Amino acid sequence: MVETNRNHGLTDAELFAPMDHSALESEKITAPRYSYWKSVFRVFFRNKVNIVILALLVFVVAFAYIYPAVTHYDQFANLMDPNSKHLTPAAAIKYFGFDLKWILGAGASGEPTFDAIWNGSRISISLAFLCAAINMTIGVILGAIWGFSKRVDMIMTEVYNIIGNIPMILIISVLAMLFSPSFWTMVFAMTVIGWIGIAYFIRTQVIIIRDREYNLASKCLGTSTIKIAMKNILPFMTSVIVTQLATELPSYISYEVFLAYIGMGMSEQSLGKMIYAAESAMVTPGWELEFWSPVAIASIITVVLYVVGQNLGDASDPRTHM
Amino acid sequence: MGKYIVKRLIHGLFSVICVVLLVMILVYSLLERDKIFSGDPNYNHTASNNRITYEQSRYEAFGYVDYIPYADYLRDLTKSGEIDAATQTEAAKLGRTADKDSEVTAEYTAKFRAYYESKGYQVVRLDADTRKNGQLKDGGSPALYATKDVPLLLRAVRYFTGMFKIDNIHYVPEDAGLEGERGLTFTAFDPLYNTGEKKTFAPAIIGNGTLHKYLLYFDGQFPYIHQNFLTINLGESYTVNRGIDVFTTMTDSQGSYVLKQITYPTGVVLERADDLHTATYVQGSRDSVAANAERFTDDYTNVDTYKKGMSRLGYSFVIGILSVIMSYVLGLPIGLLMARHKEGLVDKIGTVYIMFIIAVPSLAYIFLFKAIGTSAFKLPGLFDMDSSSKLMYILPIVSLALPSIASLMKWMRRYMIDQQNSDYVKFARSGGLSESEIFTKHIWKNAMIPIVHGIPGSVIFAMTGAIITERVYLVPGAGNLLTTAINKYDNGVIVGVTLFYAVLSVVALILGDVLMATVDPRISFTTKDR
Repeated sequence: MVETNRNHGLTDAELFAPMDHSALESEKITAPRYSYWKSVFRVFFRNKVNIVILALLVFVVAFAYIYPAVTHYDQFANLMDPNSKHLTPAAAIKYFGFDLKWILGAGASGEPTFDAIWNGSRISISLAFLCAAINMTIGVILGAIWGFSKRVDMIMTEVYNIIGNIPMILIISVLAMLFSPSFWTMVFAMTVIGWIGIAYFIRTQVIIIRDREYNLASKCLGTSTIKIAMKNILPFMTSVIVTQLATELPSYISYEVFLAYIGMGMSEQSLGKMIYAAESAMVTPGWELEFWSPVAIASIITVVLYVVGQNLGDASDPRTHM
Repeated sequence: MGKYIVKRLIHGLFSVICVVLLVMILVYSLLERDKIFSGDPNYNHTASNNRITYEQSRYEAFGYVDYIPYADYLRDLTKSGEIDAATQTEAAKLGRTADKDSEVTAEYTAKFRAYYESKGYQVVRLDADTRKNGQLKDGGSPALYATKDVPLLLRAVRYFTGMFKIDNIHYVPEDAGLEGERGLTFTAFDPLYNTGEKKTFAPAIIGNGTLHKYLLYFDGQFPYIHQNFLTINLGESYTVNRGIDVFTTMTDSQGSYVLKQITYPTGVVLERADDLHTATYVQGSRDSVAANAERFTDDYTNVDTYKKGMSRLGYSFVIGILSVIMSYVLGLPIGLLMARHKEGLVDKIGTVYIMFIIAVPSLAYIFLFKAIGTSAFKLPGLFDMDSSSKLMYILPIVSLALPSIASLMKWMRRYMIDQQNSDYVKFARSGGLSESEIFTKHIWKNAMIPIVHGIPGSVIFAMTGAIITERVYLVPGAGNLLTTAINKYDNGVIVGVTLFYAVLSVVALILGDVLMATVDPRISFTTKDR
């Protein structure tokens, strides 16, 4: 009984059958299955607050794109109607009949404020995503090269010192004067030197990691620089990049609001442009909503983007995956 | 250390020059030059040929072109003795078209054309602009001038060489009819304070033949001792503050006049706001203006006025420096507390506040704060230069401090937490020190080092003012100067202000490094081989 138990019911011949030696199999190391991105999302969704905020973000972004497309917002539809301008929600609903778009009242040209803020959000969100995508791509790639090569570092640091001293609003306004102050001019103006700050940040991170022992060992074993950059350093940088993205995305929306407020915004009816146009409405009794609605929606978008980004950044740090 | 600072300064100077060159390319080469007239009220009063010559003379004033009108050429010829005054008047009479010129005029216009075309100028002749009945239109008289574009490098060189002006006794031209002998006189008894019998001691250096009459003097205004030997010229303004230099625009006091009993050099006593110490020379001013002849004994008649308010820089600096003090006083201890009780209530509230400030557009929270401040605390929401109330400073100062408190809290917390796991902290703990001793005596000092680096910067940049805060509260500060200049296409101001900012940031960085090296003896810039 004891014998059979130990052999799990197998005969000695079966147990000790000679195996073919496989060089490939002998190199395999067995470890629990680990997928980086799966772990990132597992950690991210472990926190219930994140689910709520992510849902809010998805809702806001989807609403900003779908709602204006469905309702066909026209700012000047009621321009000829003198009774439709600057209405409080109650007055607007009384005048036009109840509709979702009148719940925030009517603006200076009789446009529904609710529609206007979503249309503005769409433009501002598009601007933020485009600028962030362009700046992050260029910034990360150039920042990595900047951090790796000592010769490039010397030149780029000088360039950074010089360009960093040119006021950003100057470049934006000169470009806006050269071309028309349109959406694409704004994208161009924000990305033409916007990447350099990100590149500098990435460069510093790369320099910190570049000379660590494991990279030195990798180099001694003959790994090419590109492979070191892609396989050894980039994974290390993911959480840093995501966290940086979390601060970048809302900052473009804020910056657009700021530019529009000082009178250098684009011609499209973005959130910033709305705030700029409604500044005088803030102090007029009954008109306050025209000013505070775009301010509020801009704040909601930026806060939600920031929180999701920060928490995603935390989750993408492998040290939190334990 | 000294050698290192000099090296850094030279490096900084190089970056500043590059910045100015780049900005010059932006505003002078990329922007169309006729944009500068959009804010000029005189431009619309000129018409026809006069408008063209006015444009050219303005282009010259702002460094775009070298512009020589025919009349100037003739005057120079007269001065050098080549022609006499009669010929000059004769030759200056241009015909309605080139073939209607008199013989003398034709001769000299041909010479003018030949001379300047050989030097690479473009010579332009504008024929008379007439109505149908043969009369000249307004401003339609014929004109002749030579013009040449100034290349960017040359104008940059001119800009930098013209930046510092040293006043000298040969400033007033020889033929201006200067009274008395040229020279500088030192007096222990400033004549402006010694109008009566009693002698009051007040040293001053008075010049004759110089631009300024008082080159060194004392008075009751900050900084009490003033000099006029060296004037800084950052660029002339066109539309923002017409004809005035950027530096003067930033440093001159504003607001309503302060009237005083003033005894003029002739002994006339009037109640006016003139600051006689600022007198500058204006040729022939007593002959042309009767009031000047009555008040002054020489042609140093152009004076500034005493005004009630501070200068743009002054307002920005007062508000800026108070908000800097406030943010350090609040931000550092709160950051320390957050690190001390990590994950505690203070930490959680602080993190929410930091997140709010970073994520929400600054415009939004400043307006929100203004709305709360004016309604709940009944604080004045708008700035009024003529009011003596100190309450109106509160909201701008606090608004400006909100973001810097957040960033100081954030970094202080970060640095403190980073230090907490260091070996020296574990050692101190094992030695039996209490947590608060470790925090206040060990960690705090080390965490402060990177914070110290930013202090000179925040103090220096308090001067430049903040764009949004000053706009929201209508503070007459320096923060809006750049945006106003951009909106009004005032290129001189744009370049001047950028240069000013660039110099400040270079100085701030160097001072920050020096201060950091002083605070932390481990940091040395001299031994590092970089």
